Amino acid sequence: MSNADVALTAHLMRRAGFGTTLTELEEYVKKGYENVVEDLVDIERCPPIDEDVVDRYFGASEGGYRTTWIYRMLNSPRPLEEKMALFWHHVFATGVGKNQHILASSMQIDMLRRVGLSNMREILLALSKDPAMIFWLDNNENRKGEPNENYGRELLELFSMGVGNYSEDDIKDCSRAFTGWTFTQPPPLYPQGYYPSHFVFIEEEHDNGEKTFLGHTGNLNGDDIIDIIVKQPACATFISRHLYNFFVADEPQVPSWNVTPPQDPDAVDTLSNAFLDSDGDIRHILRTLFNSDFFKEAQFKKVKSPTELVTGIVKLVGTYQKPELGMAKYPGATTLMGQELLNPPTVEGWHTGREWIDGGTLTERINFSVGELSDASKPGIEQIISRLKSNGSALSPDEFVDRCLELVGPLDVGETTRESLSRFAASQGDLNMGADDAEEENNARVVRMLQLIVSSREYQFA
Amino acid sequence: MGRPYGLLRAGFPFFKTVGMRRHTNFPVDVALGKENRLYILCRNGDASMVRKYTVDEDNLGEIGGVATWGVAIITDNEENLYISDEAKHCIASFNADGESLGTWGEHGDGDGQLNAPAGIAFDAEENIYVADALNHRVQKFTKDGTFISKWGSHGDGEGEFNMPWGITVDELGDVYVVDWRNDRVQKFNSEGEFIFAFGKSGCEEGEFNRPTDIAVDEHGDIYVADCGNNRVQLFNSEPRYVEKFLGDATLSETAIDYMMTNAGPNRMRDMANLEPQKLFRRPISVTINGDGLLFVSDNCSYRVQVYKKHAIPLTEQEFGPPRRSPTLHQE
Repeated sequence: MSNADVALTAHLMRRAGFGTTLTELEEYVKKGYENVVEDLVDIERCPPIDEDVVDRYFGASEGGYRTTWIYRMLNSPRPLEEKMALFWHHVFATGVGKNQHILASSMQIDMLRRVGLSNMREILLALSKDPAMIFWLDNNENRKGEPNENYGRELLELFSMGVGNYSEDDIKDCSRAFTGWTFTQPPPLYPQGYYPSHFVFIEEEHDNGEKTFLGHTGNLNGDDIIDIIVKQPACATFISRHLYNFFVADEPQVPSWNVTPPQDPDAVDTLSNAFLDSDGDIRHILRTLFNSDFFKEAQFKKVKSPTELVTGIVKLVGTYQKPELGMAKYPGATTLMGQELLNPPTVEGWHTGREWIDGGTLTERINFSVGELSDASKPGIEQIISRLKSNGSALSPDEFVDRCLELVGPLDVGETTRESLSRFAASQGDLNMGADDAEEENNARVVRMLQLIVSSREYQFA
Repeated sequence: MGRPYGLLRAGFPFFKTVGMRRHTNFPVDVALGKENRLYILCRNGDASMVRKYTVDEDNLGEIGGVATWGVAIITDNEENLYISDEAKHCIASFNADGESLGTWGEHGDGDGQLNAPAGIAFDAEENIYVADALNHRVQKFTKDGTFISKWGSHGDGEGEFNMPWGITVDELGDVYVVDWRNDRVQKFNSEGEFIFAFGKSGCEEGEFNRPTDIAVDEHGDIYVADCGNNRVQLFNSEPRYVEKFLGDATLSETAIDYMMTNAGPNRMRDMANLEPQKLFRRPISVTINGDGLLFVSDNCSYRVQVYKKHAIPLTEQEFGPPRRSPTLHQE
């Protein structure tokens, strides 16, 4: 297998998944890039995660949903399923801070996992019937004669088309179409815990009057509105730009999209055409994306989100491949880095790209990464050490740097970073991993080198 | 006193609810003490604690930090507590006041080593049987942790296991193991010789969906926490399916006290459908005492549901002879 193949496959798995262990990466490379794309997109080709084990070890705990989700990200044989749940969570940002109902919020993520790779109509319909979303944007208070336009507005502005593609009158009639779309009252948290809520349509609260939406007139219901939305070229472009931003390269923040064109309009057009050609079939669009040149050429053009950074590091060190004590620290780590899963700051979602990084969050990212890489007995680090040993002869400082960069990524680094790494490597001369009397010292050198690499500027990029 | 010749099953009504959120968060098992004391093991995330109640719901306090991933709790004759910890691969013991009496067990697959211990049970001599889940076997120890014997290996044949969970010992010394991932129960004598197995995957009578725990009462009746089907199934000693419990919870006294000073939740509760609130949500353990009280840890509803058995032992004269075939003839 060529280094380019390895690098490309690693790129694919960072974007379409959450990184790989060394062993997983080698297996993926052996399969071939196009085959791996098919495995990722056509999820039924791979078995689902072992739900029995998830339930047995994470079945019930307060606040445990985030931990369980990260476990799924790390271990699902269908990583794109989890990545798409995360993608839609970015787009349809719904905060548990408002509803204070972790079960409703977690059931929304389950819904996103279930429909995330279907088609846009099904996704928007499921979203519009989701109790967490309904409560988040007040559609439970949207009634005939007293409309609440919050959901109707955001459905158009942030969830499907973007500003500039509809009128204020469209918002009003869109909102009227969703009157009566609400949820059942769940019992209170006390004394018996969270109970699920379910979508319910209340006919007497629904406005059956005539509405006009994007040129279509009639007694439109929410279903009709979604049917109209998903046929709009604006919807295709908007969702395509979201997909580009999430999977390919960082775009400016969503509110500026109506005034700032995409950095690669041709790429967004390609994805939009795939959307329109397939009636919004997400699998078809993603297959197009992952097989495109613009995707393959976009290595390290995105800042890792906190979730991607944390899961990538845990994959690298090879821990938590089965349920173990201590996983609860990971949701805390992403939160400290600026991404509290299930609780995005606003309906706009998280500001991504370089906005993930400031002095505080960078410190958290580096401290976390260095901490996770501090123990040479972790399986992933043991494997790296074993690979370095398999070289047989002593490694020169430059070879030591090259091999470590290769095993961590492969990761391309700039001149400044390379010089720093080489300086560290050279400070202790050649690395002779075969020297039994220096095993502890050698392992410590490797750990230190890996810690330097994951602290680098370049490692912050996916 | 031996088992009765027969039983007149008069009923098995719901008796009461014990606990609520904050007092009994995610209960995973119940152990019995003297004078109706209950020790409810609760596991939330990476921490486990024991809530001490009486059956009458007198709150006797709690013991914190008893385990990380606690699975099962049992008491010995002195009312000391033994708790399995599947994350730390050990059995921890405490007196009833919560003072540690020590911990035994180490991670591994050798004799006496443990890999994710789940259910634990005493026999009459106070030896402890451990369902050694990820070693797919049963091990027997003295209560201070000295290895005695073991049986089982990974598989689905007789005497093989796939991640066993609950375990109990009846008054005759026979051992019942919930073979979690094989959706069945296996019965052995005290030496580990296979006696019978029952159950298969499914949701019909006598079928299981990832059963988690088991209890056997003085009549030989067998109770299985059929967790994935959200029910408890009762079998007689043969074992023939008798009936199931789906949950009939009322508000506990503790919960009523709480609700009386919380107007908002009272309104929400009034607006909600009450039907699902009675039902089990992940019933994860079963424990039965000598008075016929059946305690079910209703894991996701933060409570223990209690049923009371009403059965009258029958002599041979009071119980017709066994029949090989069903009959329509009325005597």
